[in-house]
Amino acid sequence: MRVRSCDSLVLVVRVLRGRVLVVCAHGADPRHLSCRHPFLQNYPLYIRSAPTENELKFHYMVHTSLDVVDEKISAMGKALVDQRELYLGLLYPTEDYKVYGYVTNSKVKFVMVVDSSNTALRDNEIRSMFRKLHNSYTDVMCNPFYNPGDRIQSRAFDSMVTSMMIQVC
Amino acid sequence: MSVPDYMQCAEDHQTLLVVVQPVGIVSEENFFRIYKRISSVSQISVRDSQRVLYIRYRHHYPPENNEWGDFQTHRKVVGLITITDCFSAKDWPQTFEKFHVQKEIYGSTLYDSRLFVFGLQGEITEQPRTDVAFYPNYEDCEAVEKRIEDFIESLFIVLESKRLDRATDKSGDKIPLLCVPFEKKDFVGLDTDSRHYKKRCQGRMRKHVGDLCLQAGMLQDSLVHYHMSVELLRSVNDFLWLGAALEGLCSASVICHYPGGTGGKTGARRFQGSSLPAEAANRHRPGAQEVLIDPGALTTNGINPDTSAEIGRAKNCLSPEDIIDKYKEAISYYSKYKNAGVIELEACVKAVRVLAIQKRSMDASEFLQNAVYINLRQLSEEEKIQRYSILSELYELIGFHRKSAFFKRVAAMQCVAPSISEPGWRACYKLLLETLPGYSLSLDPKDFSRGTHRGWAAVQMRLLHELVYASRRMGNPALSVRHLSFLLQTMLDFLSDQEKKDVTQSLENYTCKCPGTMELLTLPGGPTLPPVPFTKLPIVRRVKLLNLPASLRPQKMKSLLGQNVSTKSPFIYSPIIAHNRGEERNKKIDFQWVQGDVCEVQLMVYNPMPFELRVENMGLLTSGVDFESLPAALSLPAESGLYPVTLVGVPQTTGMITVNGYHTTVFGVFSDCLLDNLPGVKTSGSTVEVIPALPRLQISTSLPRSAHSLQPSSGDEISTNVSVQLYNGEAQQLVIQLENIGTEPLETLEVTSRLLTTKDGISVSGFPLCSPFRQVVRPRVESKPVNAPEGGKPGDPSHVKTLEAILNFKYSGGPGHAEGYYRNLSLGLHVEAEPSVFFTRVTTLPATSTRQCHLLLDIFNSTEHELTVSARGNEELILHAGECQRMAIQVDKFSFESFPESPGEKGQLANPKQLEEERQEARGLEIDSKLDVHWRIPSLKRTGEASVEGLLSQLVLEHLQLAPLQWDVLVDGQPCDCEAAACRVGDPVRLEVRLTNQSPRSVGPFALTVAPFQDHQNGVHNYDLHDAVSFVGSSTFYLDAVQPSGQSACLGALLFLYTGDFFLHIHFHQDSASKELPPSWFCLPSVHVRALDAQA
Repeated sequence: MRVRSCDSLVLVVRVLRGRVLVVCAHGADPRHLSCRHPFLQNYPLYIRSAPTENELKFHYMVHTSLDVVDEKISAMGKALVDQRELYLGLLYPTEDYKVYGYVTNSKVKFVMVVDSSNTALRDNEIRSMFRKLHNSYTDVMCNPFYNPGDRIQSRAFDSMVTSMMIQVC
Repeated sequence: MSVPDYMQCAEDHQTLLVVVQPVGIVSEENFFRIYKRISSVSQISVRDSQRVLYIRYRHHYPPENNEWGDFQTHRKVVGLITITDCFSAKDWPQTFEKFHVQKEIYGSTLYDSRLFVFGLQGEITEQPRTDVAFYPNYEDCEAVEKRIEDFIESLFIVLESKRLDRATDKSGDKIPLLCVPFEKKDFVGLDTDSRHYKKRCQGRMRKHVGDLCLQAGMLQDSLVHYHMSVELLRSVNDFLWLGAALEGLCSASVICHYPGGTGGKTGARRFQGSSLPAEAANRHRPGAQEVLIDPGALTTNGINPDTSAEIGRAKNCLSPEDIIDKYKEAISYYSKYKNAGVIELEACVKAVRVLAIQKRSMDASEFLQNAVYINLRQLSEEEKIQRYSILSELYELIGFHRKSAFFKRVAAMQCVAPSISEPGWRACYKLLLETLPGYSLSLDPKDFSRGTHRGWAAVQMRLLHELVYASRRMGNPALSVRHLSFLLQTMLDFLSDQEKKDVTQSLENYTCKCPGTMELLTLPGGPTLPPVPFTKLPIVRRVKLLNLPASLRPQKMKSLLGQNVSTKSPFIYSPIIAHNRGEERNKKIDFQWVQGDVCEVQLMVYNPMPFELRVENMGLLTSGVDFESLPAALSLPAESGLYPVTLVGVPQTTGMITVNGYHTTVFGVFSDCLLDNLPGVKTSGSTVEVIPALPRLQISTSLPRSAHSLQPSSGDEISTNVSVQLYNGEAQQLVIQLENIGTEPLETLEVTSRLLTTKDGISVSGFPLCSPFRQVVRPRVESKPVNAPEGGKPGDPSHVKTLEAILNFKYSGGPGHAEGYYRNLSLGLHVEAEPSVFFTRVTTLPATSTRQCHLLLDIFNSTEHELTVSARGNEELILHAGECQRMAIQVDKFSFESFPESPGEKGQLANPKQLEEERQEARGLEIDSKLDVHWRIPSLKRTGEASVEGLLSQLVLEHLQLAPLQWDVLVDGQPCDCEAAACRVGDPVRLEVRLTNQSPRSVGPFALTVAPFQDHQNGVHNYDLHDAVSFVGSSTFYLDAVQPSGQSACLGALLFLYTGDFFLHIHFHQDSASKELPPSWFCLPSVHVRALDAQA
């Protein structure tokens, strides 16, 4: 399997009004990219949102949050990569939503957008949701027919996200 | 204070604000020319000291902002420069009046002002005035800079005096309370004598002095003042001013830490003048060294000396982390006041700039996030755009490219908000273009051609749609087409079926007005839009250059072998060469195209659209050779599978041609698709050699063409096939017409034929066209009869035999001939031979003459028709289908030895058996030609010949052969064979026996005895004729040995005594010599003599 260490994927989940959206994307630090190839990576691997209306708005939201993810990754420094915390915490709050981030060691990014009025979701819940996503994503990668970097079309992954969204509701 | 200055940065705190304005009518061009010269004087080293003064010029400044000048002195307009046109002395008073009016606007804060008059000449100009300068025109004003420097120095003097005045205010008098405009009413009726009030006044004044010190270039002093001010104000909870003091502290610290400036471009410009980097690094020092006032002399009371402050000098400056903390604190204080929104906003912006330098993007983003939420009064649309743009720029500054792009896009959308009466589509478009990098989008389709799609397709698509719309509203359809093409090309995988339809629909709408081209579009801003070739409409999977059809394929003459052999290396094989060849093979294809002939390239294409795709004007793009491409139009069904398309063209010159790609017109967009840029295209090479023109022959035959094609094992392909069904022995004439339809003359033509072995392995001879001949023919016509091959051997007569042969026409001419190329046209002949008649048995019967014999043929009709058989003038024999009849033919015997033997050398090579076979074959042919057996099927009107060849047994042949010893009996000198010789009774009859030896050896000697007898015609031969016939001499003749081809004769005489018919039987004596020879050699004719009466 060819997982390029500098590459990354983004997985985004959005949770709103008690419901969830998931998105994955692929990418690396844009500042590194700009010198190598300006138009590489950071594209979504998987996007899912519970109410589908106004989805583009969330696309923008998640897309811009990648800046913060990049920043946080680069801030951690290389020495700490091994023992670092994968969970990035709250990326940034907006008026109505909270955006959380998570990044794997192979720089796959998971982003989750939740409704800020949803008080049931605290840091710990978000953290465990990300862990579940990560496990499921690992299963996807283990599929020999999955080409790393392709959009995720796994049914198992789908159903896991769905169950997560329902649970949150 | 309502208009925020988003360009502010921390350094601006140390600048003096000078407003430069025109008065009266001054053309913008002239004004800005002067303005530019003025603003180049942005920093001045003050005389007698090392302090540096920084000037900030504005050509527009809202007076209400000026009112905040006490709060932060850099907001105060301290200088005014007015520029005016004045051409006559008459206008002068009026102009001067205007200058005064202008001065009034900022009057409360101005330190000094200047008026620059352009155009006025005369006595007025000679009056020396400090505040007015006269220049004859806008070109002739070298002294402007000098004037400005003087002006700034005068500003400095005022500033310095104010600073000293305030700082050394030791009178203990009441310190006035400085306040911002909105505070004024709050302090009405307050107890001005309270300690609290006093402290507040002191704190504010201290802060003010700090500002002045900073402006006057005394950085360290200002830090001290700010620190003291912070302490004072903190104790009285004067939050707004505390915030200002903290911000002042931050600004001074920033100036101290980052002499390079934080304001990006403006900061850089600040030092581009005389100051060198080394000097810049030391910038903070002058203030420290300046000891006009000992900072230690300042106390919280402003009076008492405090030496401890000296120690804190180095500490006064905040550390980089503290700067941010203090900024945060200051902003939090500002945020308590709604009216200080602009101050807060600007502080945020300044803080972000500092953080950007510190590379603390996360903190910076927090500040920016805060700035976003600062709610100023209702903003005009223009202000909104400005605000979003600046947010975008700041995000860019901290490396948040996506966020930056987001705000830039918001700004762009704001330009065309529905509330705006005149939407600025141009500005919108320009801003949208700037967002592209943030969305990982380039407008070069090459960046998307390889690998997986990069970037966030959903937002990219949205942006492209917006670009299309904006460019359309801008009135630039070419741009719309280009963007829409790009959208279609790069986002195809992400478009839904409905979107695909919509996009193509609108693309077609645009292109009917403005067709898409392959030209580089240059945008107003300078960047260019590369062309977008539709490489996915349709998708090309495979490109294959096709060889010419077999009949037109050029071939190299073998005689020019030397050219084919690689002369590069003396080795027959070398791995290095083999490797190189392999590489070459990748690019070059090993067949040739011919100049002037239509050449084909096959593409396997695929339509990814959910509807029928019409591709027009599809042709080839080539290089190396002049190539006339013949475009094709095609229509691909929806979501078609791989679909072969053949593109054709005619090379006009010779050389190496490279097929680089193809061009199409799809939805009105012209595309040049280069193969190098196509992902996933399989190509088996794209370079081929074009050789000079050759003539082209077209073949037509008298027989219809057949679909049955020969598949010869040798691999050469056959262009035309003729198939014919014949009866065994039937002849068919085939006329082949060759026509030169090319433009080159035909110079050589070579015809060869080749028989293919039939399936049952019998090779058939007798194909008459076996010797190649050369002929030079002019373009028009060449015709030639060819006899169809004769049927196979009748050994297996019942089934149909097939015979296949190929006629090759090698021809050449024109320049191609000179280059050693020829073409090969082959005609395949397919003959099905059905059995007609054949002989089941052949036997012989001796005829009356020894030179003749009867041949008995049992003829079998194996056809389903009635046929007649005739042989050498004999009567016709009618045979019904399947009937067998015997036919007797009297034939002369053959002297086979006289036939021309096969050439000597052939005889030597062939073994005796073959020789014998050949001889037999030749005999068969001879017999056939003698017999001339013909058959005819009247119902089909077909005729043919039948052959006995192969049927003749040794015995039959011997019977048919003349003996090599030729015996002649002459009676009375007359040769006597079957005819009766007449003689008279009583006369002696001369009898001569001659022997001609044609055998290759000598024979003899022989002894012959003549025995006369009478045939009674009832089977009784009466030999007892002693009384009727008497011999004159001996009845026994002797012959000597005869040499090969020699002749010998012996003579005798007979006397017939009675009339009657007599026969003479001549027989040999049995001896050893004659035993060696076959008996058939001694076949003497029987002699019939009729003795007649003497009287008769």
